[in-house]
Amino acid sequence: MIPHPPSAAPVLEVDDLQIGVRKRPAMQILRSVSFKIHAGETLAIVGESGCGKSMTSLAIMGLLPDAVERRGGSVRFKGAELPITDNRAMRKVRAAQIGMVFQEPMAALDPLYPVGKQVLEVIEEHEDIPRAKAWARVIDLLARVDLPNPEVLAWSYPHKLSGGQLQRVVIAMALACNPEVLIADEPTTALDVTVQAQIMRLLKRLQRDTGVAIVLITHNLGLVAHTADRVMVMYAGYKAEEGQTRDLFLAPRHPYTQGLLDATPNPDRLAAGGGVLREIPGTVPSISDPMPGCRFAPRCPRAQEVCRASVPGPVFEGSHGYACFNPVPAARG
Amino acid sequence: MKPIRRRVPWAFLARRVLYGVLAILAIAVINFFLLQLAPGDAAEALAGQAGTADPQYIAQLRAQFGLDQPLWHQLWAFIVRLATLDLGYSYVFNEQVSVLIFQRMPATLMLMGTALTIAVAGGIVLGVTAARFANRWPDRLISLGALLLYGTPPYWIGLMMILVFAVMLGWTPTSGMENVLAFNTGWDRVVDIAHHLILPAAAQSIFYLAIYIRLVRAGMLEILSLDFIRVARAKGISERRLSYRHALRNAVLPLVTIVGTNVGNFLGGAVLTETVFSWPGVGRLMFDAMFQRDLNLLLSILVLSSTFVIIANLVVDLLYAIINPTVELK
Repeated sequence: MIPHPPSAAPVLEVDDLQIGVRKRPAMQILRSVSFKIHAGETLAIVGESGCGKSMTSLAIMGLLPDAVERRGGSVRFKGAELPITDNRAMRKVRAAQIGMVFQEPMAALDPLYPVGKQVLEVIEEHEDIPRAKAWARVIDLLARVDLPNPEVLAWSYPHKLSGGQLQRVVIAMALACNPEVLIADEPTTALDVTVQAQIMRLLKRLQRDTGVAIVLITHNLGLVAHTADRVMVMYAGYKAEEGQTRDLFLAPRHPYTQGLLDATPNPDRLAAGGGVLREIPGTVPSISDPMPGCRFAPRCPRAQEVCRASVPGPVFEGSHGYACFNPVPAARG
Repeated sequence: MKPIRRRVPWAFLARRVLYGVLAILAIAVINFFLLQLAPGDAAEALAGQAGTADPQYIAQLRAQFGLDQPLWHQLWAFIVRLATLDLGYSYVFNEQVSVLIFQRMPATLMLMGTALTIAVAGGIVLGVTAARFANRWPDRLISLGALLLYGTPPYWIGLMMILVFAVMLGWTPTSGMENVLAFNTGWDRVVDIAHHLILPAAAQSIFYLAIYIRLVRAGMLEILSLDFIRVARAKGISERRLSYRHALRNAVLPLVTIVGTNVGNFLGGAVLTETVFSWPGVGRLMFDAMFQRDLNLLLSILVLSSTFVIIANLVVDLLYAIINPTVELK
């Protein structure tokens, strides 16, 4: 499952990233997020809507909305700091070094240009090669993402293609310049279930071929279990827990992770007499809520005095880390 | 790489041409009756100019012009003339109507074309700039300017421009299309006409410029907020390319529609502009024909203008389908 030796340098490293709303100091979207990802690895970032998953990915690409600013922390690509607040400098990074796949394939392409031209645009932006050669690569890319009849399909306009086909085009676009990191922000949420599986299989196959590191942002734990090497669980702008997928699913330590797993349909648990789904009571706190302690404390069944008074720092047990004062006991066996 | 060629929509074109011909016929008939409602005719106007009210002279003129015929007969004669592309003779100007109109046509087309170009090009460049710098000073400046231009009557702007640029500053001539007495030829003549063209073209374009700026700005802001713009940004392409290649081409679609419907207004506006600036165009001819009660000339101009508007609209529909591949002409 882990294709990289533990000593290898991470290809992408996010360290204590903090993001807030401009001119509103109280509104803090990301409070502290750190993670690393190595070549060939898939890291899933999981969490409820509004926990800061998408903002993290936009920040890495330097695509934060105008109303949002970085308040601290760093993003490093192969050891070098990324100038994420410099739009002009980030243009050389986007697609060339870090590609991105978005949630809505139906809205992701310009309706007025043939899809092949939109893939071509990426190559022409970053590489100085003859047009015919670039076009040949476009056709090759479309074939590699399993689109039928690529020479003809390249001239189709987006409205002629299905959601699954469009997402394949978007993936081809994101990988056109062989980036070393691919950020996939809910890449299958808008698609049919059968198409979802196809797209994820495609991403994994392309990863095997190219060694691209994938940051998979999702709230679908089923998807995570099948595709991710490691998982990071986020809650209200914090990293709650991080670990190998297997460890995290079998022995979650953070009560929030436990809650998420309990709220996910699981035939095995039901068969074992595990009972019905349990929801996590309450809602995510507002980004401007100045609570001093753990942001999960108001909803946490294991919360204690200390949880409401101060913010828990990350605790690591090997590769498994969590931010909790009173973790779920590691019940093994 | 070879694009798939789109078929020419012959069926669509044939149907639209047929509809166009029917529309022109209807316009001709309706205008014919409308103009009959106006008091007086060319015979009276001519007799008035000759300083006589002799009923016999007027009756003689009427017989000569065919104005004594029954209305139905006159209408039929008019339609037959239209069908054979013979617009008849203007007794007021003592010239073939077609000659009269086609002498004036280039001046009007030049004025309209220039004004339309200024309005569309200016509207696109300023509208895109305003949208790219939304709510920052370039946008505020452009939007305020557009609001001022939009709120000011065009003829007043024309008069004020004459006052400021021609009378006070002396930069441009006050009126006319060229300095006839200079007997310019070749390039000198072009420069001279361009010099005369600046003020009327600017005056006529200003109102539309203001509308187009607002239209392009609003359209751009809407498109720039869409998902595919963020996807395109994630491809690493520049903001300028993003604005012009992706956002503008989408935002310009409503502009194309509006410009198409405005072509008729430009012709109507030409009457005013050509009068204010003494521009020797069809608008001016129409104005004169109206005062002289030269109904045949007036009708011919009206029918020609409506033909022009119908053709312009057909061109707009074709253009729309070329810009937007999701539109299919059936």
